[in-house]
Amino acid sequence: MLDRRSLFAATAAVGSFVGATFGSRKAKAATNTSVNMTPKGDVEPRGSKGRLERLPTLDSESIHDFVTGFRSWHSKGSRVVSQRVDKIMEENGLDPKGRYTREEVLPLIENDHIVGTSGRTWISNQQITWKNLQDHFHDNADAYIAEMEAADKAGPGTLELNPGLELPKYTKHEIHIQPGGYVGDEFAGHIYHYGTNSFYVGAIGDNEQDQIHIGTANRLPTPKDGKVMRILDMGCGTGQLTVALKERFPDAEVWGIDAGGPMVRYAHMRANDLGVDVNFAQRLVEDTKFEDGYFDIVVSYIINHELPQDISRKMIAEAHRLTRKGGYFYPIDFRSGGDTGRAYGQYRRWWDHRWNTEVWSHEYHTLDFDGEIEKAGFIINKETKPALPGFGARHAEKLA
Amino acid sequence: MATSKLKTDRPTYASDFIASDVERAVFLGNPVLDNMMTSLIALGAEVWSNRRRMKVVEALLAEKGVTAEMIETYMPTTEQDAEWQKDRDRFIDLTYSPLLREGDLPVSAAFTRENR
Repeated sequence: MLDRRSLFAATAAVGSFVGATFGSRKAKAATNTSVNMTPKGDVEPRGSKGRLERLPTLDSESIHDFVTGFRSWHSKGSRVVSQRVDKIMEENGLDPKGRYTREEVLPLIENDHIVGTSGRTWISNQQITWKNLQDHFHDNADAYIAEMEAADKAGPGTLELNPGLELPKYTKHEIHIQPGGYVGDEFAGHIYHYGTNSFYVGAIGDNEQDQIHIGTANRLPTPKDGKVMRILDMGCGTGQLTVALKERFPDAEVWGIDAGGPMVRYAHMRANDLGVDVNFAQRLVEDTKFEDGYFDIVVSYIINHELPQDISRKMIAEAHRLTRKGGYFYPIDFRSGGDTGRAYGQYRRWWDHRWNTEVWSHEYHTLDFDGEIEKAGFIINKETKPALPGFGARHAEKLA
Repeated sequence: MATSKLKTDRPTYASDFIASDVERAVFLGNPVLDNMMTSLIALGAEVWSNRRRMKVVEALLAEKGVTAEMIETYMPTTEQDAEWQKDRDRFIDLTYSPLLREGDLPVSAAFTRENR
């Protein structure tokens, strides 16, 4: 299984996963040919590459290409840093293969220059990644806001924005040090979409054509009775999985909800560009406003490690309320890792939490996530294969 | 709480947020070193950007006469993408592998024949 560190600093790409599937009904051709997607008001000066609108200038695209490559290079170098940490442990008379808490590890390695350089370069690259994107969208804000305004009421899908929604504090952090986080920047969706594409390269493969989300949607099980009329994606972000779910189940009513207004606004605009009929709403995962048993399938994609433990519990309870008997809940996230481990792993987990602003990751890793799902009343089907390879299967069925 | 630096009167549905303190982080014991590292990576990004643009220009020149629009909208082939990414990785390796150098000799370290 991959853990959080694997996206943060993976050393091995899963080559076979790259381009695993472009099997969706409406997927734009995943080739280098330009696709004519020009809804009213569309800002797309350099066209699209398959499903992805190209970044609007050659320079912004090239800088993004650089930071993507730098991130992959950095991941490969993590082996050097890991060996360095092992050496430090040995120098301090400790077994490098032993299990330690972050409190034991930190004082030994925090001032090492190799470890420091690794952290500094990773953070600097992450900051440049965001700045390159945010600067462009802010510098051309009028055009991009107009583009979203034109899309807000357009179809085929629907959009519900709730500017009066009182956002809990836990939603307001700059996760991944993304400027403004998921709720505080007008272009949070734009920035997140391009920025996170670079996260996958060097870890689990390319995602420019939503390959990872499409593959995930296509691997999800169907309920035992085969009925899939309604699907909910909790914490949908930019809606990549939401769209892929509609493509997998074209006759279903599909919803994506997220606390971030700019996130669902972008998700809606993009789904419309792709011609996919899904519904997005700005709502909280712990208070979705849907009726009891409304959904056949409730999913989430790498959201729980971004939530405090009490909100994860509330989200699981909400998912149980929303799932009809015979349906299932399938939260995809990293494995819960506990609070001890190899020295370097513990350091990186702490470091990711502290400096990459993974505010709630430590709470997630110390939560018995599977146990909480079962406590809520679901039965985890142990026979189901992972929908996202490396992340494990949490096919939580609500018995009929 | 922080707010977006973008100023607009149009509804944007962005809220206030809790700003990270990463801008204050010092990983290398001296903020000057940290800042130089960030500049170095940004420089690399700019250099790469120029090199990539040149590749576009060269690719177009090889085919026919060139306009600015043609350069801006050039779409690399799958083969070119692969070739360029390979060159990018070589460039990154050349520029940043020295960062992993594990130096441990002070300026005052004694010189012996064995040092050479």
